[in-house]
Amino acid sequence: MAPPEVYNISQSPVTSHAFNGDRSQVAVSLNSNEVQIMQRAGREWKPVETLSEHDKIVTSIDWAPNSNRIVTASQDRNAYVWQQTPDPLTGRTIWKPTLVLLRINRAATFVRWSPNEDKFAVASGARAIAVCSFDPDNDWWVSRLLKKPIRSTVLSLDWHPNNVLLAAGSADMKARVFSAYIKDVDKRPAPSVWGEKLPFNTICGEYGSPAGGWVHAVGFSPSGDALAFACHDSTISIVYPGGPAIFTIRVSLPYVTLTWTSEDAIVAAGHDCQPTLLQGSPGGWQAVGSLDEGSGGAKGSAGASRVGTPGRLNSAAFNTFRNAADRGLASPGGAGAEGGDTELFTVHQNTITSVRPYDGVPGAVTRVSTSGVDGKLVIWEVSAMGALTGRIGGMRLG
Amino acid sequence: MADINFRKIDIDRFEEDVLLETDLYEADPRNPAQVLEAAKAKAASVRSSLSKGDILGSLVLVLEDPPYGPNVEEAKNLTLQTLVTVLNSTKSADIANVVKALSPDVQDSLMKYLYKGMAIPGWGDVSGSVLLNWHEKLTEAAGLGCIVRAMTDRRVV
Repeated sequence: MAPPEVYNISQSPVTSHAFNGDRSQVAVSLNSNEVQIMQRAGREWKPVETLSEHDKIVTSIDWAPNSNRIVTASQDRNAYVWQQTPDPLTGRTIWKPTLVLLRINRAATFVRWSPNEDKFAVASGARAIAVCSFDPDNDWWVSRLLKKPIRSTVLSLDWHPNNVLLAAGSADMKARVFSAYIKDVDKRPAPSVWGEKLPFNTICGEYGSPAGGWVHAVGFSPSGDALAFACHDSTISIVYPGGPAIFTIRVSLPYVTLTWTSEDAIVAAGHDCQPTLLQGSPGGWQAVGSLDEGSGGAKGSAGASRVGTPGRLNSAAFNTFRNAADRGLASPGGAGAEGGDTELFTVHQNTITSVRPYDGVPGAVTRVSTSGVDGKLVIWEVSAMGALTGRIGGMRLG
Repeated sequence: MADINFRKIDIDRFEEDVLLETDLYEADPRNPAQVLEAAKAKAASVRSSLSKGDILGSLVLVLEDPPYGPNVEEAKNLTLQTLVTVLNSTKSADIANVVKALSPDVQDSLMKYLYKGMAIPGWGDVSGSVLLNWHEKLTEAAGLGCIVRAMTDRRVV
């Protein structure tokens, strides 16, 4: 398996990242009120433009691959749609913002374009999701709010491939599937496992977190017939509403982000600092292994000691203390060069906050990108992961 | 002078659509009296299974469907007491095998009680060293996620 491509793009956390259609540019927010557009230059990413219109921290970015529009959401309760237009003065192409009338009174937390790129949804702390569509008469984006029965901040969203259904994960410990049907934009969707008649704000599914935790991430499978959600109670659940069946997998530290790579595989990542591959079918699901395993990480030689230990606790410093506690070896006070090394053996050195498809088509994603609190952007290969299946017996993810 | 204690104002009183603790988990369908009855019946059957030396069976008995939620303090205390009896009468060499044999649900439930016990040192027969010993073995068997679930679950035992 090819080693992951690792880019140190920032000293500060990467709050969000979104690639353009041909992956030559990436938009990132580096824990500030600005969005950086970076261009690939050989083995690194060079900042080429800064989008500054928000007043507070930008929480989420999405880049529509076909229409080449960027949407950003921020704690300042606003969202902007950015489009490339020639500057009337200089004639240079610049990114021009269009205001979105969100009508929310708390921070916007998450934003995603619909598959047809004619709508987007903004999650917010105002117990609401704003579903936005373009109003050509006034040249701005208008929103309709999904409110009931959301009881707390909405943390994540994902669109169904039919452009109508929307999944939302919320801090009230529920994952829900809504209809976000907009009359002027959408054609009537074909009946699916989620229902037949789908007027705006229909609740097509509601699923509680197994042991009470915020629902950090939601995702529809490529066909849209299954839903995965990851919660802060260190579980990830896969729902087949047609079955009906729910599979819950207990993991080490909680996942906060996930993406389906095919109809039978999910990559999830979070506080454990390493992306994990899960595989399954309507018959059952299991965690297969870490994409980080065997990649060498920060310290190639340490590979053998990594299996079965949470990434978060896998550093030379932690091992020194554990050996001291368990076996009375090497007093930590003696502080050899090895004992003072707090670098984790995983590629990411802190929580991974976003994992997104990078290469391939929906249903056959071959590479994914991750970004996190450590300021790294990493591109991982998933296609070769099938080889890992034989090693399940030796894995312990508990 | 303006009231400087504005941070202590209960703003939820002014919010119509306030999110209540009870909205966050499904309430126990039984009433408190039934829950207490069940806890007493469990305590008795655990005593008899413990006298036969069946640690694993006793643990599963006491940890399945534990009382949770408000108004069932008596049943909660009785269950903790019963559990502590089981924990204290287990040989430390057996702990590792016992926790490995438990189902994931029971493991999660056990972790909740271990933390509850550690929060009230000296209560009844609760012994810190016994609890820590179980905690170590349980974490090895069930992983860190088990601790995370004990912290997030609103169904407090």
